[in-house]
Amino acid sequence: MERSSVRRIVVSGALGAVSVVLAVTPLGYLPWFGGASLTVMHIPAIVAAVLEGPWAGVSVGLIFGATSLVKAAVAPIGPLDPLFTNPLVSVLPRLAIGLAAWAVYAAFRGKFRPVAAALAGAVGSFVNTAGVLTMLGLTAAAQISGVFGVEPGALPAVLAGIAVSNGLVEAAAAAVFTAAIVSAWKGVEGASGKARLAREEGEGT
Amino acid sequence: MKNIEFLRNVSIGMYVEGDSPVHRLSPAAKYLWLLALILPASFSGSAPVVGILAAACLGFALLARIRPRTLLRGFLPVLPLVGLAAFLQVVFTWPQDRSAVLLAAGPVSLTVREVLAVLAMALRFATLMLALGLFTSVITEGDTARGVEDLFAPLERFGFPARGLGLTVAVAFRFIPIVAGELEAIVKAQAARGADLGSRKGGPIRKARAYLPLLVPVTIRALERAEALAEAMEARGWSSGPRTRYAVSGGGRWDVPVKLGALAFAAAALWAGAVFR
Repeated sequence: MERSSVRRIVVSGALGAVSVVLAVTPLGYLPWFGGASLTVMHIPAIVAAVLEGPWAGVSVGLIFGATSLVKAAVAPIGPLDPLFTNPLVSVLPRLAIGLAAWAVYAAFRGKFRPVAAALAGAVGSFVNTAGVLTMLGLTAAAQISGVFGVEPGALPAVLAGIAVSNGLVEAAAAAVFTAAIVSAWKGVEGASGKARLAREEGEGT
Repeated sequence: MKNIEFLRNVSIGMYVEGDSPVHRLSPAAKYLWLLALILPASFSGSAPVVGILAAACLGFALLARIRPRTLLRGFLPVLPLVGLAAFLQVVFTWPQDRSAVLLAAGPVSLTVREVLAVLAMALRFATLMLALGLFTSVITEGDTARGVEDLFAPLERFGFPARGLGLTVAVAFRFIPIVAGELEAIVKAQAARGADLGSRKGGPIRKARAYLPLLVPVTIRALERAEALAEAMEARGWSSGPRTRYAVSGGGRWDVPVKLGALAFAAAALWAGAVFR
């Protein structure tokens, strides 16, 4: 089916809205071990990249990044929030989510679709974690070492530790969510009326 | 489960009605000034440069008749961070720090350079908060989307989809209340079926799994609505030919000088930030 540009634009807008709503409600975070929380706010950007291509992924990433930028400045909650008032931390890495997710999905699209979507989710999510932590390390080394209470010299190790511990779990969660959303949506799309009925009739006879 | 009404707590910036020179600027000019203020502030840690940027933000706030105090409400949660950074500055010393020592107690000392570093950090947060808070107070929802389109319009000749990006932002704004409402309905529906969202029971994996039946339907519903909207827009011929605008927002004869001023200011501030370290 030919994808029109209107469709791509409107789908990006709708997924951007999902990401904004997740960002401003407590539902954007999953509770996890030891008080840490996993974010799911970047999943709409991955879904947009998988469904509508890199531009859609980047636009949703831009909306997500801008939301976290404004939220950090207008209504900060945590001790790390003020660091996200820096657009290099909050916006720039988020643009990469869509590109990475789309590249992975495009590379594996020919195979089994849920697996390709799950891989895209995992990679997109990890790009988000790694990008944000790298930019935090580059722009605000002194402040973060203050928050974690470590010497500035030990910071790269601490950030890498977070990237591995939190980032991998987040990537796994993103893989599950992306695969679930993409296969549910493709199921709905392919089965709008006819296809599923035809299949069920075929099974009946 | 508490906090079931998500819409009540949604607040990401609030437009403050007004008729000041700042309010009357065109959306693109507002964007340019926002970028001219936050980009140098985020690239440079130089205290004098950030001080000038903060002063410019205060000037704009006064011009827009918005009290800086309301914009800095969010500064309170930052104070512990500033305190921690100050503590670390005192405990660890900079290599090659030859500035005057203000206080000394045994191996721990506080030098002028350390004080300046902490002040610059606090000032930087304040500047970014002022600039972003002010921007959200003087720009309306519709202008936010139109501004994106105008801002990127010069890139359109290189194939950049400025119009599409503007529309994406406009659609996102329109969809936020819809998605929030649907999320609320879905959470209530799942809770009515016995989903134990937000309860303390169960391991983290079980809690994470409880999110699957929320996130998937919310996204699918948003996609379904987007599909319907896209079809409706195509049926009305959205993508055929050039488009005119119903709402003409702001500007006037001062608009071009103000935009050029933003570019010049940004260039000067970036240059100063790179030179005075």
